[in-house]
Amino acid sequence: MRHPVRLGAALAGTLTLALAATGCGAKGTEAAAGTPAAETTVTSCGRQLSFAAPPKRAVTLDQTSTEILLELGLQDRMAGTANIKTKIPARYAAAYAKVPVIAPKIATGEQLRAATPDFVVAGSADLLTKDRAGTREELAALKVPAFVSAVGCPRRERAGASPFELLFSDYENLGKVFGAAPRAGRLAADQRAAVAKARKTAAETACGGGRPTVVYLYSVFNGMPYVAGGTGLPSEMSRIVGAKNAFDDVKEDWPEVSWEEVAKRNPDYIVIGDLSERGRPGDSAAEKRAALTEHPVVSKLAAVRDGRILEVPGIELDPSVRSVHALGLLAEGLKGAGHGR
Amino acid sequence: MAADPAAHRAPVDLPLPADLPLPVDLLLPAARGHVAAGEPVVAGERSAPARAALFLLAAAVLAGSLAAAVRIGTADVGWAGLARVLGARLGLDVTPPPPLVDSLVWDLRLPRVLMAALVGASLAVCGAVLQAVTRNALADPYLLGVSSGASAGAVTVVVLGVGASALGVTGGALAGALLAFGLLLLLLRRTGLDSTRIVLTGVVVGQLFTALTSLVLMASADADTTRAVTHWLLGSMAPARWDTVAACAVVTPLGLLVAWLCSNALDGLAFGTDTAASLGIGVRRTRLLLLVVTAVLTAVAVATVGAIGFVGLIVPHGVRFLVGPSHRVLLPYAALAGAVFLVWTDAVARVAFAPREIPVGVITALLGVPLFLLVLRRRGEL
Repeated sequence: MRHPVRLGAALAGTLTLALAATGCGAKGTEAAAGTPAAETTVTSCGRQLSFAAPPKRAVTLDQTSTEILLELGLQDRMAGTANIKTKIPARYAAAYAKVPVIAPKIATGEQLRAATPDFVVAGSADLLTKDRAGTREELAALKVPAFVSAVGCPRRERAGASPFELLFSDYENLGKVFGAAPRAGRLAADQRAAVAKARKTAAETACGGGRPTVVYLYSVFNGMPYVAGGTGLPSEMSRIVGAKNAFDDVKEDWPEVSWEEVAKRNPDYIVIGDLSERGRPGDSAAEKRAALTEHPVVSKLAAVRDGRILEVPGIELDPSVRSVHALGLLAEGLKGAGHGR
Repeated sequence: MAADPAAHRAPVDLPLPADLPLPVDLLLPAARGHVAAGEPVVAGERSAPARAALFLLAAAVLAGSLAAAVRIGTADVGWAGLARVLGARLGLDVTPPPPLVDSLVWDLRLPRVLMAALVGASLAVCGAVLQAVTRNALADPYLLGVSSGASAGAVTVVVLGVGASALGVTGGALAGALLAFGLLLLLLRRTGLDSTRIVLTGVVVGQLFTALTSLVLMASADADTTRAVTHWLLGSMAPARWDTVAACAVVTPLGLLVAWLCSNALDGLAFGTDTAASLGIGVRRTRLLLLVVTAVLTAVAVATVGAIGFVGLIVPHGVRFLVGPSHRVLLPYAALAGAVFLVWTDAVARVAFAPREIPVGVITALLGVPLFLLVLRRRGEL
């Protein structure tokens, strides 16, 4: 079902590119009209990147990076995208259709070079290795700067910082690189406001009795639950809305744990990440709900018995331009219950 | 050491036990009664010029495969593009290609194709040598636990970050491989390097390091890291670069030469310790030398491109079927055949599921299994 759509999008993108090349497309966007600095320099995951002019052929190596650039209206400066894990939201669909897909999954070094990029954006340093798209050193030698999201930078370099703030710093840095600072600044400001609003909602509706604990159920694979650990975004989301991630002590993003352990932590709420767009077994919210109610022990938990289960789009539980949406849902969901232990 | 290799194809001349066990049978097809009549002509029996011509032909096939494989990839460059890149690199008077196209061909594809040839040759010869040393038709280069050690080393570096800056994945894998082999030698130090003991100890060491790999993965890796490591464990030529090709280009020919110089000893060992000893071969010393050589060759290959399965098992058998069991002839042909096989399987891995690339180890097994069955059938084993 998704494949023909994607193929269509890719074809449309190629067509647009062909039209642009013959001079019959590509109107200037707000971003394109931005004033380029003489020599822009940003720091990305421990490396200095310099730009004499804003990039014209950016390639994004994953969906998060793709959506950020689309949100900033930079589709006319993109030469390719890769590694789309789930559906592109409807509001980006038209812009996304203009950009060729160089690889539906993780891009190889050959695919990246064949797209002749002048700038590479990756959501994680893991995508820039020798057996994938090539290292940042190799790309630097080819005069192709590679930007790695501050959120996906190896952990030791982002200790202590809030993932939301790291995400906003990405917007601002990318805005600077593309000469689209005003729009990027607005995006960061809007999302900061959304975070502040969630914090406020939580503070106003808090009714004493300590912070409720939450288990985030991301996926169920082979009958084993994958939940949010202490290093991922949900941990920070919980803090913002005055709750506590029950698996904060596990220092991973999405550790695989046991149902017994979920039961032992006895959370006040369970947040289900709905991944039905991804469409693998155990991905939909309904399947996860079933897994909770059918498990002999977990089904006896108060959170399951009393239906204190929230559903949010799973993709938004990883840091992306859409994450503040899930944060809003979470703040609203916890508000209604107004409970304390 | 002075035994005439031709003697091994004449079973009547040799004091073989009456009921040959299957492994020996597989390794020495000429020892079977029915083989003598309808078998393809054994290369060693041809005249010297014919032998040379046949070998040159095989070498030409390899050269042609290398050239063809450089053309194949997820990004289509075309012959003209390739010619421009090579011309510019060789200092000829051509319009230089765009830097990214030059990099695609020169930094990625050429080293990758050459690496496939070197690793293929290395694995095939290691397989042939270990099959003779352990007198086991199922022996392959990973029998000594080297690949499991490499996996454990790589996973330790990638997942736990131990020595990540100093060693890198390749360094970690090499360290792990040599550690596993060191442990194997330690466990074997008091024994006479008896073939069964080598096999069993290798299996034990391999299991230990496999368990360590799983332990590290399960205890600390997240899903993305696990997927990245799994891709690496299955074997992929993608990380090949000129520096690793250079390292392999030094080690591999040297190792192959040592193995080839031991051809006579290998012929003897394939018949068993007693036969080898009666031929004047220092059994323990030779076995140790050959184990070290194959372990180093395998370690270098695995550390660079992961554990590519099946090449080291099937290629020696296929080549033995074509040219006979004499190692003086078998080893060079195994090297060529292994190189050609891996160059082509890697090319298939690059384009078969384009735009996705799949680990070459998957393709070697997919193509290797039917080829192996074909060889067995032709020889009347099935």
